Formats: sequence, structure tokens, C-alpha cells
Amino acid sequence: MSTNAAARGEWSRSGSGRRAGEMTDPPAVVTVRFHRFLPYWAVLQTDLRQTAQGWLFVLWIALVVIGVCGFFLYRVGVQQEAGLVQSAAVLCAEALRAAFLGSLAVVVILSVAAISSERGTVADAVLSRGISRHQYFLARQHARVILVGIAFALISTGIIAAGSLLFRGEADISLSGAAVVIGLLSLLLAVVAAVGVVLGALTNSAVLGITIYWLLLYGGGLLLMLAPESWPGPERELTRLRYVLQGYYSAAYYGRIALTAIAIAFAATICGLIGFSRKDV
Amino acid sequence: MGGPGKRVPRGETIVAEDGHGWIVETQHLTKIYRNRQIALNDVTLTLEPGCVLGLLGPNGAGKTTLLRLILGLHRPTAGSVRVFGRLMTPNAADIRRRIGYIPTNPQFPRGMTPISYLDYIGRLFGLPRDVRKPKLATLIRAVDLLPHSGEPIAHFTPGMTARLAVAASLINEPDLLIWDEPTHGLDIEARRSMLELIKQLASEKTLILSSHNLSDVDEVCNHACVLNKGQMIFHGTLQDLKGRIRRNHYELDVDGEHKAISKAVGVLRGLKDFIQVVFRHRRLDVKLGEETPNTALLAQLFQVLHDHKITVISVRTVGMQTEQAYLDLVEREESRGFVRLYPASEAA
Repeated sequence: MSTNAAARGEWSRSGSGRRAGEMTDPPAVVTVRFHRFLPYWAVLQTDLRQTAQGWLFVLWIALVVIGVCGFFLYRVGVQQEAGLVQSAAVLCAEALRAAFLGSLAVVVILSVAAISSERGTVADAVLSRGISRHQYFLARQHARVILVGIAFALISTGIIAAGSLLFRGEADISLSGAAVVIGLLSLLLAVVAAVGVVLGALTNSAVLGITIYWLLLYGGGLLLMLAPESWPGPERELTRLRYVLQGYYSAAYYGRIALTAIAIAFAATICGLIGFSRKDV
Repeated sequence: MGGPGKRVPRGETIVAEDGHGWIVETQHLTKIYRNRQIALNDVTLTLEPGCVLGLLGPNGAGKTTLLRLILGLHRPTAGSVRVFGRLMTPNAADIRRRIGYIPTNPQFPRGMTPISYLDYIGRLFGLPRDVRKPKLATLIRAVDLLPHSGEPIAHFTPGMTARLAVAASLINEPDLLIWDEPTHGLDIEARRSMLELIKQLASEKTLILSSHNLSDVDEVCNHACVLNKGQMIFHGTLQDLKGRIRRNHYELDVDGEHKAISKAVGVLRGLKDFIQVVFRHRRLDVKLGEETPNTALLAQLFQVLHDHKITVISVRTVGMQTEQAYLDLVEREESRGFVRLYPASEAA
């Protein structure tokens, strides 16, 4: 290690880069300017890049694409060989339902692991620098929410576009209905990711957090299935997707669902901010 | 460090003479993990500017816990930490901007090169591009990683990883450096370079070094803090620590007739306060009592050797001084047991 450089003015406060013996004038004191939100952007950008390149994310996208392609190829085969005419909205809704439920399991892992998997020395390397817990938490959460939201929006757009093209004879998908479905499903998955990051920040191990969240989501979904018809259960809402795609939906109803989901995410984020800034890492 | 070196009774506060200017100040710092493990117990210490503090203690003594509390990575169960006069909390990012930290076995985000990693760390400190980029280039050069600046960190050797960690800890021009076992896992050459760097940095910065290697602490530190089972059992200057050594065990390499040496050994064994005198392989091992000043006993020893025409080739104290003093401290602390609950001043 060339240690002389370390001892020279190269990293001294003066920042002049000259040896002390060579100086004739007193060194000009350079005040280092700090960008307050740069740490947030650094964590956000790094997390977006690393998560997008991570094996779990790639596997998720690959499985969904392969599954949807297989499903549509089978349906196209049925249509062409058996001559059964099928509704594009119905087929797209089925594909979207499967993609959503499958994605839920992966999004739970992706989101809970955002903070909890880095506990220890990797988190030390970040949190011991000039970043607050709040910024770190928000950067991690926003990165996962953005990635999950955008990824599923692209997946669902692809599914609807492919369905519309492949089953052109029975193209009964309305543009506004498709937009509502894409927006709603992406938003719900993004909310799942937001709450997952909170759970990951508050639990002491990733495995524990993932287990709790899976139980909450799938157990809660099961309980809502048993609830009265007036309650918005996940199964019921996913079954209704075909009608929404055809343009039969209540904007106010889905607006309420979206607002409720955002409120849940917001409340969870507040809890996460408070809890994480009080936890050891 | 505030005050002279001394054994710190439970809960005692060391107050600076002027009461100002501490770099680090902990008050009754206690950390209990989930009501199961007491990692740190009532530690009160202060660190003044320019101090190079060696944090010593056996495994599980609480060294890393203390460092993590100082950095705000852990929250104290009781007590407080003030750094640069301000209370350290998990959200105190502005205080941490003035600290450079190297954890034990530093790990790095996957897929990064030294350039991208240092750029990332620079951004975490909020350093703008025009400050960050020249600085990271200078640091990569300084730590000799220029030929490897484009390689993934995952393929680095422990020595290269340590150098990168050093560069990362210096990118923000910190006033306080906290290095947790910086020589851990390094080969002889890398360790030597690290120690030289620490010596040079010590001239302008305040350092806290946690280490198991007492010779490292002996070489680069001017103050020491000894922890044992979460309790601080000593803090003060290194000289004070060495002053605690039992100065009564010596080894002398001698030359002379075997008969004369045996005779001299016999004479020495007959003298008062010569607890042990053993001659083996031309080496005289002498343990002295503590009641008489050792200078008087050594004068007697040399007189006897002179009378028997024995030549002394070398004289040395047994064991490394700092190591001996450290071991003595830990040993005494272990034997105190319940006594530590009742300091002598209170008992009186």
C-alpha cells in the first residue's frame, strides 16, 4: 500500500494537494458541500440496478413470461384445432389472475428481503456513512415499489396486448378497462411490496418476515373469501377482471380500493420509518 | 482519553478538565440484547482530539458493540453516546459524515468494482460529483488498487479488500476513524503497510482501533481501553497500562563457567525475595518478590554474578509488556467477582 499518499495533503482538509513543506501561503480551506438527498438517490439507484440484475427478479419475469406464453399457445391451439371461439377478455383475465397470484409469492420474498437480508456487515457498510435510517428505509422501499410496479405493469400490458392480438376474432377488450386492470393490479402488487419492505425492516430475519407475510396474505385472502359478498375479496375481484377488461366497471369502486391500498401502504411506511429508526442493524 | 489511567469503578464518570472538546463521550453506556445478553455494562469514557485509542479485550468482551453504539448502528439500552459534542442516534447522518468506519471483515455489495464502490460510498456521504470523482481516483491510487480498479470486488484477496475498505473510510475526509480489527486476516506485508498508514493518519486524526493483536496496539496507539465481559476494566494511556505490569520476572542470558554459575544460583536462591531462580540452557530465569524495590534486588543479583565472574549477555523482562499488563488486568478482573459491585471508595 502506498501509504505516503494517505499522509499527504491529498485527503487533508486543506485539499490543496501540495506537500506541507512546499507551501508558501496558508492552504485555502475548502468547505465540502454535502447534497442532502444524494445518499437517498445512491441507495435507490443501486437497489434498482442490483434487484433488476438479481436472480430472483429475473426468475420471476422468466417464469411469468414462459407461463403466459404456454397458456396462450395452448388456447390458440384449442381455437385453431377444435374451432372453439374464446373471448380475449376471459383469456387475458385468466392469464392475469395466474400471473398476479404467482407474482405475489415472489414479490413477498423480493420486498421482505430488501432490508432484512442485508442486516450485518453489508448494512454496516451503508448505514455507517452519511445516510439516515429514514433515507435508507425510504430508498429501499421506493426502489422495490418502483421495480415491482413497473415490472407488473409491463407484464400485464404484454398479456393484454398478446391476448388482443392472438384472439382478434373475439377482441372484446376495452382500452379504459385494460388501463384500469393494469393500473389496479400493478398498484396492488406495489402496495404488497411496500408493506413487505416494512415487515422486513421490523423483523429480525428474512425467513421469519417472509413466513409471516405469506401467512398474512394468503391467510387473509382465504378469510376474505369466506366473508360476505359485499366485502372485496381477492378471489372475487380477480374473477371480475374479465368484466372490467370488457369495460364494465365502477370507477368509484376501484378508486376506493386504490385509495384504501395507498392508505395501507402509507400507514405501514410510517410504522416502518419509526420502527426501523429504533432498531439495531 | 480523559484523566490518568486507572481502574474504573462501576459508574464513575471521567470529566474533562475544561469540560469541552471531546471527540467521543459515552455516559453509562449499556447494551443488553433482547434481555438475554449483556454486551456492554455501564461504560463511561471520553476521547480527546488526536488520541489513538486501542480497544482491547477477549472475544465477546463488547468491543464491536461499543463501536457500533458510537456509530449509531445500535441503540443503547441505557446511557448515551456523544460524538463531536452531539448525541449520536441512528438518524444522525451529519455526525457520521465526519467518521470513517471499517467493520471487521468488510463486505461489499455484489457486482461492484473499486471505482463504482467508492463512488457509491462518496454519494452515501452526500459528496457532489466534482468533489467525489477526483477524490476516489486519488484514493484508488494511494491504496495501490489502480491496476485492479475495473475488476469485480468479489475476486479480491483479503489484502486488496482491506485496502479498499481503508479508501472507503477516508473518502469523506473524516476527523474520527473507527477501524474494527483492521489487520485481521492480512499477511505480514499488508499488515505492516496498514500499521504504517495508521501511524501517519494518527498525526492528523483521532482513531479508535479495535484489535486482538496487542503488538499492533503497542505500536500505533497512545491510549488503551480494556473491556472484559462488557465491563470496562481500564482506560488511560498505554504507559499507564504498561505500568501495571508485574515487574518481577526477568530472563538473563549469561556466560561463564558452569560450576560458577551453579554456585551463583545457589547463592541467589538463599537470598530473601528471590522467589524463583532457575538456570537452564545458559539462561537464568529469575522471579523477584514484590515487597522490596526491584532495583535493590537487581543490584544484589548483578553483584552476585559479578562476584562469580559471570558475564551477562542480555537482560529482558518476561512477556511482552502490553500483553502482560493486559493479561494481568483481565486475570485480576476475573478474580474480583462480587467485589466489583462494591468499589473500595464506597466500602470505606
